Amino acid sequence: MQTPGRKVAVVGMGGAFPGCSDLADFSGKLFSNQSLIREWDKAIAYGKNVRSTVSGFITEEEMGLDVIYSSLVDNNYPETYIDKLNRIPYGNLATADVGSIWAMIGTLDAIKMAGWTDTEVQSEQTGVVMGSGGSGNVILRAAWHNFYELGKKTRTAGSHAVDRTMSYREAANVSCFIKNRGVCEAIVSACATGLGNIGYAYRLIKFGLQDRIITGGIEGTSLETFIGFDGMQVLSRGFSPQESSRPFDLNRNGFVCSFGCGIVALEEYEQAKARGAVILGVIDEYFNNSDGDGDMFYPSFLGQKRLWKGLSGDSGIKPDVVKVHGTSTPAGDSIELLSVVDVLGEDGYHISAPKSQFGHMLGAAGSVEFITALLMLKEQKVLPCLNSDTLNPELEPFQKTEHWRGPVKPLEAYRRLIPKQSIAKEINSITCLNYGFGGTNSAISVSRDN
Amino acid sequence: MERQEIIDGLVEILKTVRTIDPEKLAGVTEETDFLADLNTPSTEMINIVVKTEQKFGVEFEDDDIDDLGSKVKNVVDLIIRTKAKANQ
Repeated sequence: MQTPGRKVAVVGMGGAFPGCSDLADFSGKLFSNQSLIREWDKAIAYGKNVRSTVSGFITEEEMGLDVIYSSLVDNNYPETYIDKLNRIPYGNLATADVGSIWAMIGTLDAIKMAGWTDTEVQSEQTGVVMGSGGSGNVILRAAWHNFYELGKKTRTAGSHAVDRTMSYREAANVSCFIKNRGVCEAIVSACATGLGNIGYAYRLIKFGLQDRIITGGIEGTSLETFIGFDGMQVLSRGFSPQESSRPFDLNRNGFVCSFGCGIVALEEYEQAKARGAVILGVIDEYFNNSDGDGDMFYPSFLGQKRLWKGLSGDSGIKPDVVKVHGTSTPAGDSIELLSVVDVLGEDGYHISAPKSQFGHMLGAAGSVEFITALLMLKEQKVLPCLNSDTLNPELEPFQKTEHWRGPVKPLEAYRRLIPKQSIAKEINSITCLNYGFGGTNSAISVSRDN
Repeated sequence: MERQEIIDGLVEILKTVRTIDPEKLAGVTEETDFLADLNTPSTEMINIVVKTEQKFGVEFEDDDIDDLGSKVKNVVDLIIRTKAKANQ
């Protein structure tokens, strides 16, 4: 159980962000209200077979990488990668898919920012906890095609089809890269994965099992991943790229499938303070639960209310900003906004929806958006909800049913909570929310160091 | 095919294995050991074998790969033996 008095600080961050050279570039673009969503040539190449063609994708070139394609396997099978900036040794690149490489690069940046020594990194008290929503789909598609369709021997896919595709490949690659001696695990919970890993890492430190953890979520660029959602007809279409992600807007019609990586360094608070670390934020609490209604996809108002109850209890504490999941899907956004209002009331806080700027990074969403919360604490500015032009002036259909027990005003009544452009205000505490298929809900509260 | 010609071809393959130090490839002989002398990660050996099959137009038996030694001459012998068998 929790160790009394033990607190958890965030002391470093890094990652991979669409169309951004580094974290500073990412921050600058976000707070200047820019969209990172673009037309994706790889999707467009498949013509009418792909329904949506916009994404917050990241190319190898943007990450300073070159791909070496195999001469043994068709369909652009990445045999390995070259790090043009010499950050990652060849031996580590050989066992990594592109998402694992992003995780190693993000880890380097986070550790540098944290100021951890090699002795601290390689300690038994340092863990690695991170994961992604999908498998190593880019690697698997070509390897399977090579065997099943082309009838080639299994060995032609080489000796790294397992380590580059296994469920906890990012954690394994990062652990081998930094040589920590503590835990190495992955938490996988669909689109709650990024926050789920950070929450689990928080608990490991809070419960006294580890002192430092590199943690986060990753979703490597993959058309294979994209087409699964495209086939479900849940992706946004019909808008310009910059207008495609529009949480809470009346005309929203789906999310923008994006990719990225968010890595943070967590440390037991007193140790971090004692060595003079810069504290980016202090985690107050993490809580996660399940809807319990048997529905794989549809969000649960009651499940989300129980989530808040688990996070805050009866404390009555109100965050200055709620960083919502806000995917831009018709069902998700309305339930989420109404559950937030039901718990926190109609004023005294703002709602930030960073997916409006870079889309839905799936397994990376929770961790990259946690980083946006840390940036909001640093900049003392609320990130906007771009394209939330019109909120529904009418009640949602479910609000008219007799068993509805939530707010009875239309979404339009809460317009003032949702800024369309970044705004400055005093921010001491932020609550981050993320949900995933399977009815899983997660929430974390992070505050400025006092 | 002369043995030296095969060794030269193997060196070309080894140049594509980025975990091997390129400077060590200058003096490769039949007695060079992939693991002990070139520090080749053992997991890369199967990649070298498959590229060898492709480059020399041969297909090794699984048993031969299982029994393959770690010296350059072992691979040269296997290529010559496999080619001879294919020509029978």
